[in-house]
Amino acid sequence: MAPATGTPRKTGRTGKTRDPSRRALLAGASALATAGALGAAGCSRVASASGAEGGELLDRLRAQGIVRLGIAGEIPFGYIDTDGELTGEGPEVAKVIFKRLGVERVQPVPTEFGSLIPGLNSQQFDVVSAGMYINPERCAQVIFSEPDHQMLDAFVVRKGNPKGLVDYADVIRAKARFATGSGYAQIAHAIEAGYPEGDIVIVPDQVAGMNAVEAGRVDVFAGTSLTTREVVKKSRRTEATKAFAARVDGEPRVDGAGFAFRPAETNLRDAFDVELRKMKESGELLRVLRPFGFTKVEMTELTTKELCSG
Amino acid sequence: MSWDWNAVVDFLPHFRDGLLVTLQILALGSVVSFVLGLVWALLVRTPTRWVSWPVGVVTEFIRNTPLLVQLFFLFYVLPEWGLTFSALTTGVFAIGLHYSTYTMQVYRAGIEAVPVGQWEAATALNLPVGRTWAVVILPQAVRRVVPALGNYVISMLKDTPILMVITVPEMLGEARLYAQETFRFTEPLTVIGVAFILISYLASLLLRTLERRLVR
Repeated sequence: MAPATGTPRKTGRTGKTRDPSRRALLAGASALATAGALGAAGCSRVASASGAEGGELLDRLRAQGIVRLGIAGEIPFGYIDTDGELTGEGPEVAKVIFKRLGVERVQPVPTEFGSLIPGLNSQQFDVVSAGMYINPERCAQVIFSEPDHQMLDAFVVRKGNPKGLVDYADVIRAKARFATGSGYAQIAHAIEAGYPEGDIVIVPDQVAGMNAVEAGRVDVFAGTSLTTREVVKKSRRTEATKAFAARVDGEPRVDGAGFAFRPAETNLRDAFDVELRKMKESGELLRVLRPFGFTKVEMTELTTKELCSG
Repeated sequence: MSWDWNAVVDFLPHFRDGLLVTLQILALGSVVSFVLGLVWALLVRTPTRWVSWPVGVVTEFIRNTPLLVQLFFLFYVLPEWGLTFSALTTGVFAIGLHYSTYTMQVYRAGIEAVPVGQWEAATALNLPVGRTWAVVILPQAVRRVVPALGNYVISMLKDTPILMVITVPEMLGEARLYAQETFRFTEPLTVIGVAFILISYLASLLLRTLERRLVR
C-alpha cells in the first residue's frame, strides 16, 4: 500500500497544468489508493493482537460463547462424523477444555491441512485442532499448546506391500513413487531421507492419497500412523504399514502434536495449557482419546519447547 | 504485508517447473481440442442419424457439465473401472475434450459460412467428397475461425489452474505448495498472476499475427 502516500501529492502538483481527463484519472487513482490504504489499515487493526498484552481473545470467546476450530477432515484427528457432528482427537479435547474455560460451544471450520496455519493467521478460526505436529517451521508462524499426544509415521501401500516399504530409506531404495498430503510434516521427513522434492506427489488429503495408491499412480502415501490405519479401513486394495519413526538429522524422531494459536494470543494458550496439563495428570486425556484409537504409547512426555527447537 | 524479493528468487525454481507444466497442458490441450473439435464437427454433419445424433448428445453433455466435475470423474472414477492415467494425461485429455465441444461449434460456424457456390462448384467439377472437404471447404472454413479458436486457447490457459485439484503441479499448484512450505502467499501468487498476463498477452499477439496472415 506504499503508493497511497505518494500519489495524492503528485495530483496536487501536476493537476493545474494537465488536461482535465488526465487530472480526473489521477484523482481517481489516488482516491482508489487511499481507499485501499484505509482498507488495509482497517484489516490490520482486526488482525493485530486484540488490545492488551497477550491478547483478549479468551474474553471475547467467553462473551460469544463459541470458539471456531480449524480441522482438516482427517480421521481420527479432527473430522465431521456421519451424523454431521464435529469430533476427533483435537475437537474432543478442545470441547472439554473450552467448556472449563467458559466457552460453551465449538464450531468446526474444515479446510485443507496445508491451509490451517494461513487460515488461523487470517482469522478464519481461533484454534487449530487437527493433531498438528509441533515443528520449528510451524513454531515460527504460530504458537502451540503443550503436545497432547505423540505420533509416528506410517505408509499406505498396496495390499501385501509388494515393494516391501517399511520406512523412508526403503522408498528411496525401491525408487517408489511417493505421495503425501498438502502441508504434511511427512514432506520434510521424505526430503530429509533424500527423496527428491520435485518428485513428491502432493494430494489434498489422506483419502485422495489412498486413492492414488489404489489407482497405482503412486506406490506409497505417507501420513501419521493413525491416519493411515483409519483410511485403509475404507479400502480393499490397500493396507497400512507398521508405525515407524522418521529420521531427522540421523536421529529417529517422535513427533508431538498439539493445538495451534495465533502468536499474539498467549493468554488463551496459557489458559488452555493449564487445563490440558490437568487432563494429562488425571488420566482424563487418555480416556477422551481412547475411542479414537489412541493408547498409552501415544501419551507424551515431550514439551513444546523442545519440539519447537527441533 | 511486506514484499520480499528473496521469496521471489526462492520461488523461481518452483515457478519454472510450474510454468513448463502449464505450457505443456496448454499446447497439448489445444492440439487435442482442435483435432477432436474438427472430428466432432464433421461427424455431426454425416448424413446418417446413427452417427450424428449420438455425437450431438455426447458433445452437448460434455459442453453442459463443468470441467471440474469431469476432471474428478476421469481422475477418481475411471480407475475404479481399471483405467488409470497419470494426472497430467488425465488433465490434458479432460481440458482438451471439454474445449473440443466449444471448438466444434466454431468449426461448424466456419463450415456453414463457406458460400454454397463452393459446394456447387465442387459438385460440378465432380470432386469426390473427401477432396471437396480437404481442399475446398476446410481451408476456407478454418481460416475464418482462427480468431475464435484463439480465444479458446486463452480461455484454456486460464482454466489450467483447475488441474491443480487432481495434483497436476502447474503454476498455481506450485505457488500453493511454496506458500504452504514457507507461509508466504503474496510473492508466489503475484508472480504467477503476472506470468498468466504475459502468456495470454503473448498468445493473443501471436494469434493476431496469424489472423492477419490467414484472413484476407
